[in-house]
Amino acid sequence: MAAKKVIAVVFGGRSVEHDVSVLSGLQFLEALDPGKYQGLAVYIDPLGQWWTGDALTSRARYPVEASNNKDLTQLSLDLATPANGRPRFLAFQKSLLGEKRTEIPFDLIVPAVHGSNGEDGSLQGLMEVAGIPYAGCRTLGAAATMNKVFTKSRARSESINVLPELLLRRPKKGVFLDPDGLKRDMKAAFGDEQYPVIVKPCNLGSSVGVGKANTMDELVGALMAAFRLDSDVVVEPFVPNLTEYNVAVRRGSDGQAISSAIERPARDADLLDFKNKYLAGSKAGGPKQNTGASEGMVSLNRTLNPTELTQSQEQFIRNSAEKIFDTFALAGSVRIDFLCDGESGEIWLNEVNTIPGSFAYFLWEAADAPLSFLALTDHIVQEGFALSANRLGATDAATSGATIFTRF
Amino acid sequence: MAEHFIWRHSNSGGGTESFVWLHGWGYTRAGFQRLAALFQKDGHNNIFDLPGFGETPMLFSGAGTSDYADSLAAQLDKNQRHIIIGHSYGGRVAIQLAAKHPKLVKAIILIGGAGVPRRRSIPYKVRAAALKILGKLARISDQLLGTEYRQAYTTRFGSEDYKNAGELRGTLVSAVTENLGPVAREIKCPALLLYGDGDKEAPPEIGKRYETLIAVSRYVELKGYDHHDILTRGAYQCEALIKSFLKDLDHE
Repeated sequence: MAAKKVIAVVFGGRSVEHDVSVLSGLQFLEALDPGKYQGLAVYIDPLGQWWTGDALTSRARYPVEASNNKDLTQLSLDLATPANGRPRFLAFQKSLLGEKRTEIPFDLIVPAVHGSNGEDGSLQGLMEVAGIPYAGCRTLGAAATMNKVFTKSRARSESINVLPELLLRRPKKGVFLDPDGLKRDMKAAFGDEQYPVIVKPCNLGSSVGVGKANTMDELVGALMAAFRLDSDVVVEPFVPNLTEYNVAVRRGSDGQAISSAIERPARDADLLDFKNKYLAGSKAGGPKQNTGASEGMVSLNRTLNPTELTQSQEQFIRNSAEKIFDTFALAGSVRIDFLCDGESGEIWLNEVNTIPGSFAYFLWEAADAPLSFLALTDHIVQEGFALSANRLGATDAATSGATIFTRF
Repeated sequence: MAEHFIWRHSNSGGGTESFVWLHGWGYTRAGFQRLAALFQKDGHNNIFDLPGFGETPMLFSGAGTSDYADSLAAQLDKNQRHIIIGHSYGGRVAIQLAAKHPKLVKAIILIGGAGVPRRRSIPYKVRAAALKILGKLARISDQLLGTEYRQAYTTRFGSEDYKNAGELRGTLVSAVTENLGPVAREIKCPALLLYGDGDKEAPPEIGKRYETLIAVSRYVELKGYDHHDILTRGAYQCEALIKSFLKDLDHE
């Protein structure tokens, strides 16, 4: 029997979505086929340090404190992989005879880091430089879809319905927001009917930093909060009678984009913010159980395959999602979120999550042709190997006649 | 009696294969909700509430695993051979069923299945023997002198399961004191044995023991799972291992 491929699942990260990512990463590891793959947990702490160790697979181990990490091994990623064959992590352990270096080889990295420094193409770029096979979206698709304004501009050019927006840049240090200038910008973007509006960071997901404003004062407050998280902030009109719909897309074996079941997340508050998205039904700060079935995006109350959608609405959601997946040449399991005015029935594309919480597996398990998370992880892993293998041709200078130095 | 006794169950899925799910002590059929859902496409799933649990009434006072197996056999489709999946105590019933009613069983799958004695350290054995004597003395004292030592003894030294067993106490005592080793030897059908390496209730040594006892068996230890979370966060690991086992069954 061939040796099992070692799949390094990288989670945590320097991101406000660090904790959600830990759950997604552990869920992915738990859904890897033990007959084909050997999972390797790789945790990036909020300081950006990389760790591995069996203890990481237990939810009770989090948060990992700097004073309590004796059971973990600190890693560094060897970027010289192309010269040395199989990718590897390096670990350094102090012993009586000095520092000992150990190598931990692996075959593929699965990025499970949500938000900045993971979902935004930066981690993917690092893998490309090092020639390390990785799963999911490539650098361009991951980076482009992280920017909500850029995503919407591409969607517009593909005739996909999106809301108008106003993009604001963080004021320079020591400078306050200029209310008069803001008023002018708001009028230019939205006309006379301006409020209420939704304020959200341009480059974050998971509804972190999202706020609603009914007046100029509230808008300034919401902007200040959002600027703490991102230098660019988007203001959009608030959709009345708001209902959200999400759908996941992946590439089928025939190369066509396939969409999953559609979900309608439950909403208690006016707006789906981080607290009711991820902490619904659990006490914030309470001990985490070491269970896997109901947590993260999975614990969010939702209606799968909602019956109120008309055939044309469902078609719009599916077609738009598949089109945007193709436009950005995405990969893996991507969740695409839509906004709907429950009364008028109009639907707008909202955002694209290239590494969605829990890899959106619950949407695949509820699809017309159900796909178990076990089969989904296999698809994501196999696709990652294929995409990384196809990436570039020869990099030898001689192949393009670009040699300057004499080679013997 | 057994013919008229119906075990409450939910059935789902479809296909030619028949899966029979038997939960562990203190659980109900809801304990298999996550895992059984992954086998909807692979066959017909009957997920039972064992007698005394969930919606199924008690069988009779002091009923043992063998009685449970006979009662279950009476209501399984006789024209088919079933795949029995048992967790913990459900594993004991699966062992009994496979040994006593071989014509009904195609294969058994134990997940943290109990039933053979664990190796214990000498200090543990000494303590257990002392406690047993103490329990007997408490009972004698209660009977002769009207004291209430037995209840105090149970509160102090009884396991959670024992304290909560209520009318099923006789069934629980007969289960924890029985050794299914000789019964397991009689099993002719293939068995898959899944054990979490962090399982304290039914540790891997039990699975390894069953592997030596059952003629055609496959033992797999799942790293990082315990007796309970093997059914939830370990569901996909179990799914993969069970499906590859079933595939091999069909090739034999």
